Amino acid sequence: MNGTTTVSIVGVGGQGILLAAAVLAEAAMAEGLDVKSSEVKGMAQRGGSVLSTVRFGKRVWSPVARHAEVVIATERLEGQRALGLLAPRGALVCATTRIEPGSVLRREEVYPDDLEAQAAARGLRLVLVDADSLAREAGTVRAANVVLLGAASSVLPFAPESWALGLAAAVPAKILEVNERAFALGREAAPAQEV
Amino acid sequence: MERVLFLSGNEAIAHGALRAGVRFVCGYPGTPSTEIVETAATLEGLHAEWCVNEKVAMETAVGASLAGVRSLVTMKHVGLNVAADPFMTLSLTGVNAGLVVVTADDPGMHSSQNEQDNRTYAKFAKVPLLEPSDGQEAYDFVAEAFALSEEFDTPVLLRTTTRLSHGRGRVVPRVPVEVEPRDYERDMTKYVMVPQHARIRNRVVLERLQALRARAEVTPLNVLEAGTVDFGIIASGVAHAYAREAFPKAWFLKLGLSHPLPYDKVARLYQSVSRVAVVEELDPFLEEQVRALGLPVVGKEAIPADGELDQELVFTALEPYLSRRPPRRRRPVVPPAPRLSTPPAPAPGLPVRPPVLCPGCTHRSVYAVLRRRRLAALGDIGCYTLGALPPLLALDSCLCMGASIGMMAGFNAALGRKAAAAVIGDSTFFHSGVTPLIDAHYNESQGLVLVLDNRTTAMTGHQGHPGTGRRADGSEGPAVDIGALCEGVGVRCTTVDATDYDALDSAIADEAERPGLGVVVARAPCILMTRRTPGTVVVDPERCNLCGLCLDLGCPALVPGDRAMTVTDQCTGCGLCIEVCRRGALSYHEPEAGP
Ligand code: SF4
Ligand code: SF4
Repeated sequence: MNGTTTVSIVGVGGQGILLAAAVLAEAAMAEGLDVKSSEVKGMAQRGGSVLSTVRFGKRVWSPVARHAEVVIATERLEGQRALGLLAPRGALVCATTRIEPGSVLRREEVYPDDLEAQAAARGLRLVLVDADSLAREAGTVRAANVVLLGAASSVLPFAPESWALGLAAAVPAKILEVNERAFALGREAAPAQEV
Repeated sequence: MERVLFLSGNEAIAHGALRAGVRFVCGYPGTPSTEIVETAATLEGLHAEWCVNEKVAMETAVGASLAGVRSLVTMKHVGLNVAADPFMTLSLTGVNAGLVVVTADDPGMHSSQNEQDNRTYAKFAKVPLLEPSDGQEAYDFVAEAFALSEEFDTPVLLRTTTRLSHGRGRVVPRVPVEVEPRDYERDMTKYVMVPQHARIRNRVVLERLQALRARAEVTPLNVLEAGTVDFGIIASGVAHAYAREAFPKAWFLKLGLSHPLPYDKVARLYQSVSRVAVVEELDPFLEEQVRALGLPVVGKEAIPADGELDQELVFTALEPYLSRRPPRRRRPVVPPAPRLSTPPAPAPGLPVRPPVLCPGCTHRSVYAVLRRRRLAALGDIGCYTLGALPPLLALDSCLCMGASIGMMAGFNAALGRKAAAAVIGDSTFFHSGVTPLIDAHYNESQGLVLVLDNRTTAMTGHQGHPGTGRRADGSEGPAVDIGALCEGVGVRCTTVDATDYDALDSAIADEAERPGLGVVVARAPCILMTRRTPGTVVVDPERCNLCGLCLDLGCPALVPGDRAMTVTDQCTGCGLCIEVCRRGALSYHEPEAGP
């Protein structure tokens, strides 16, 4: 609404959603934009579905939104769950990572395999990224969140320098280098895979 | 029929409780509430206890109600501040057998440090409020309160004030109410207040409030008494008695069930008279609601907002208004029923992903053991509350911080046996688990208290607490030893390594069998703090038949493959699954020595 862009980052508790949100927020600030973000902490974080929202623009009022222009998903099922969040013609940047919830492991529920079809049916742009492999290539599978940010940077209007500043501001110095590599690999991977 | 009694309001409440089929009464002494428990303790058929404080008293009464016995808990007005934590969430869970909370307010502060008007708590918690105005009503309203509590599945607040509690009057005893104890049935969505359940219950509460308002319109507890002059008074409690004596010819809307307010009954009073006053002690509780209907009313501009009233004060305060020109008649504008939010619809057809205990979580072993014992597990607040969710489904209740031990004491007291255990984390134990332990020891309660000591306040991000000695700035302070603390209280306590499944199993089994009260501390640091992988678990595909027994532990590292279980690299090597597999399919694999 009103020239504000909303990005939602979804995934499974422990996948580094909050760090990804922090990098994105810092990058937006480096662009000179107003930023607000919100996240749910505590009980929800223990391996459950997690949602973090970052909103940026000239002047941002509300910290939350029912719809997002871009959704970044660190897990496929969570990406699919978030389809309803996406505004028309929005983009879903989604990891191919598959983490089965307990109910699926216990065969009480079925893990869906129709993400592509669902996204197409809704007229959404889907960018699928093998984030785990790229993160491993960068040096650690834990950097998959930042690989996805790199992929999402192809659909977000920030200058590369802003992303660099965002990473430097939000990522602890010890793991900055790995994450910079992860970001670059994600950025390279995205356009080629774009649907 | 028995002879007419001459009782104080507090004695009348105790006798009324016996008549209402109450079996469990507890409280903490505080003027003007004290004589309720004192009297109850002298009555045959009532079990009465002094508790260590009002919060523990509330939780103990909740436990007894949960076990199926009508329970009454008493305190003075400021005591409800201490008990506010369980009280506010009790509104969400509702009750099993009826539960009534007596708050004795002290207008005029004869014996109190403040003069708070606890009617606000009824509004705050969205529960019904009964206000008797004399001894007979104090006696009668107890049974009414219990009937409402069970019919509407809600705690009921019964408010007295000093003049009622300590004043005496004639009380005609009535025929006892027949009540059967209720069975306890586990109902996690009702009694385990984790967010996903509490959201559902919250809507139940909002709908219940509408239903109670409809009841307030028709109940004989709220009477419109016709007068002979053009003047009406709205009043409740002892204020009604003052006003009735001051203005014998006025019309009255006497509210016995004063929250939620019956709007239509108020409107009917305004159809009958053109001048209306609200007579109430302390806050403009009723007055503000009447004004919100857009109706002109005389209230706190005439009736003092502090201290006690009496008939002379009421008369001189209101008499000048009777000769003034009556205000223009207005129609009440009744607020519409509030809208409820639409909960976000879960994406249809997609598997849910609730939060789970981490791989290698040291709480998991306790639940694995507890599931084998036939004990209700009354829980508390922390990561371990996740034990209530699938697949563990190992908790019966979660009310508020520190509620587990008091609830266990009440539950077991009501049933007269060791039917429930309390499950509480280390940080929660220090927060508010020590006082109920003292209480349980003092009242010789039965029970098994399991302290899940993972050496941190895990859920909120691993903060320190007195058991660790670690302070907010990271510095080390003296640490309090839970075992020594329990023994200092006089409660036997066994500390076991939570990762030693057999030791844990036998400690819990022993304590479950022994009479009286005992504590088992299951101690092992939170896996997120240690996070070292001493080794991992390997599966023998020849032995595993995918029976799924290990899956019931809900460890995210165990994933069923096509022909046998597989263990992902999330495994911390805690070894719990090895213990539960009956086919010897799982074994521990030493890590290879690094290069
Ligand atoms: S409990 Fe043992 S046999 Fe059963 S599924 Fe697990 S590993 Fe296989
Ligand atoms: S797979 Fe078994 S040993 Fe590994 S963390 Fe889970 S329960 Fe513990």
